[in-house]
Amino acid sequence: MPASRDRAAWRDIFTFRAPPRADLEVWLGIGAFVFVLVVWTLTTGLGIVQPQFLPSPLAVVSAWIRLIEDADYLTHIWISIARVWAAFLISAVMAIPLGVLMSSYRGIGAVSEPLIDFVRYLPVPALVPLTLIWLGIGESSKIALLWIGTFFQLVLLIADDARRVPKEFIETGRTLGAGDVALMKDVLLRAMLPNMVDSLRITLGWCWTYLLVAEIVASNSGIGYELWTARRYGKTPEVFSGILTIGLIGLISDQVIRFLHRRAFRYLG
Amino acid sequence: MAGNGAFIEFQELTKVFHDHRNHATPVVEPLSISIAEGEFVVFVGPSGCGKTTVMRMVGGLETPTTGRVLIKGQEVEGPSREKGMVFQSYSSFPWLTVLGNVRFGLKYRRDLPDTEKDRIARHYVDLVGLTPFSDYYINRISGGMRQRVAIARTLAADPLVLLMDEPFGALDALTRERLQLQLLQLRNAERKTVIFVTHDVDEAVFLSDRIIVFSARPARVLRDVQVSAELPRERTMEIVETPAFRKLRREVLALIRDEELRTEAAEVAAAS
Repeated sequence: MPASRDRAAWRDIFTFRAPPRADLEVWLGIGAFVFVLVVWTLTTGLGIVQPQFLPSPLAVVSAWIRLIEDADYLTHIWISIARVWAAFLISAVMAIPLGVLMSSYRGIGAVSEPLIDFVRYLPVPALVPLTLIWLGIGESSKIALLWIGTFFQLVLLIADDARRVPKEFIETGRTLGAGDVALMKDVLLRAMLPNMVDSLRITLGWCWTYLLVAEIVASNSGIGYELWTARRYGKTPEVFSGILTIGLIGLISDQVIRFLHRRAFRYLG
Repeated sequence: MAGNGAFIEFQELTKVFHDHRNHATPVVEPLSISIAEGEFVVFVGPSGCGKTTVMRMVGGLETPTTGRVLIKGQEVEGPSREKGMVFQSYSSFPWLTVLGNVRFGLKYRRDLPDTEKDRIARHYVDLVGLTPFSDYYINRISGGMRQRVAIARTLAADPLVLLMDEPFGALDALTRERLQLQLLQLRNAERKTVIFVTHDVDEAVFLSDRIIVFSARPARVLRDVQVSAELPRERTMEIVETPAFRKLRREVLALIRDEELRTEAAEVAAAS
């Protein structure tokens, strides 16, 4: 009786801590998307909401296609991606060694951790005026803002990843004759690498948030600028397109990193 | 064999732990023990008694508060390749294969060419019977195999003394039995001096030439049992049934049990 078994399976995945059913779960995920689209189409189609507040999905998609075909828009996208990656790489290159050192030497941790923790709680948008005063409205002020938004968070995540490496790994390395540098390079970094890549992935997502702040406030290029300009002229479908573009870029880069993570760390499986 | 001829010598060794309020807890009382070369010494005692701390001081992973440990007349001043360590868990690196882990034991040997390192690593993988699993990652093999990897890696580094901190504690009874037998074989082949910490009295009697029974914290020697005087050198699983084995087992167990009851009574008195 496949029909009743199917019904039971659907019911089962809504019971507390049920075993996974990847096939059914995919359908639920797709269903949720479809549901949102249907509700969206209905509210716009029936005129419940004015199109200048919420354009129909079709209007958004056609605006998006129009924009994507425009070379200028693509340039803006590339500018934004370049800013995010530049800031992200600078943050990572600085945060990884510092995080590892902070967790490895109590003195370095004691000096840097309270300071970093303090800066971490500063609201990044509040620092925009300062970056503008110090660095002007060029690229450096935007990258600086993204760097402030990510570096201080990332360094603490990295330090935590390093601290979670079992003491036994380090002591094993020591009793096999490894010195401090060898321990950090051959044991600590290798052991923390899977978690570290996750920390980097999460931080990359934050970069996009701060990018928008930077581009909306003081910029004449980038997706954020485009989005803000569209708003000024009341082009709501273009605003939605901008949001969609950022969402897609975020989704794709996240999935790519996840995929590489699975490939690179197959030994964990 | 005492005095200057000892292979490992504890000289008035003490350890005091200080908590964050600088409250001092003595963990090890002045301890003087001599261990002969090739001896298999097992430390037993009530849980939390400080036996592991004593062993870690031999390994240089813990610094004595006063006193010192000498190995071949040399004072222990920190961890090194001479003092190989096998832990209960997280012993092997998941990012390396079985062979890669064993080869890691030789990574910091500058005196050996790579081909020689490969040869030695393969030899020890073979010695613990894991050659068919050479290319397996650690998470793909069982807990028992992981401990064999850790033992092979430590032996490959050719230490003067093998320090084992409850290495079979997390394994099931059958696997533990098999690894105990295998450890004795390895040890007979390699002629290593071993210090082995366990809370399993059966394991202690079965493996050891000598058992040192520690008191509750702070650790002092309750009794120094010469197992080799009562049990034959060659051990098989059948030995567990012999009267000599049972007598030793009973004796050691009684000592630990009394000690645990005594400390519990003291704790109850202190709490009420």
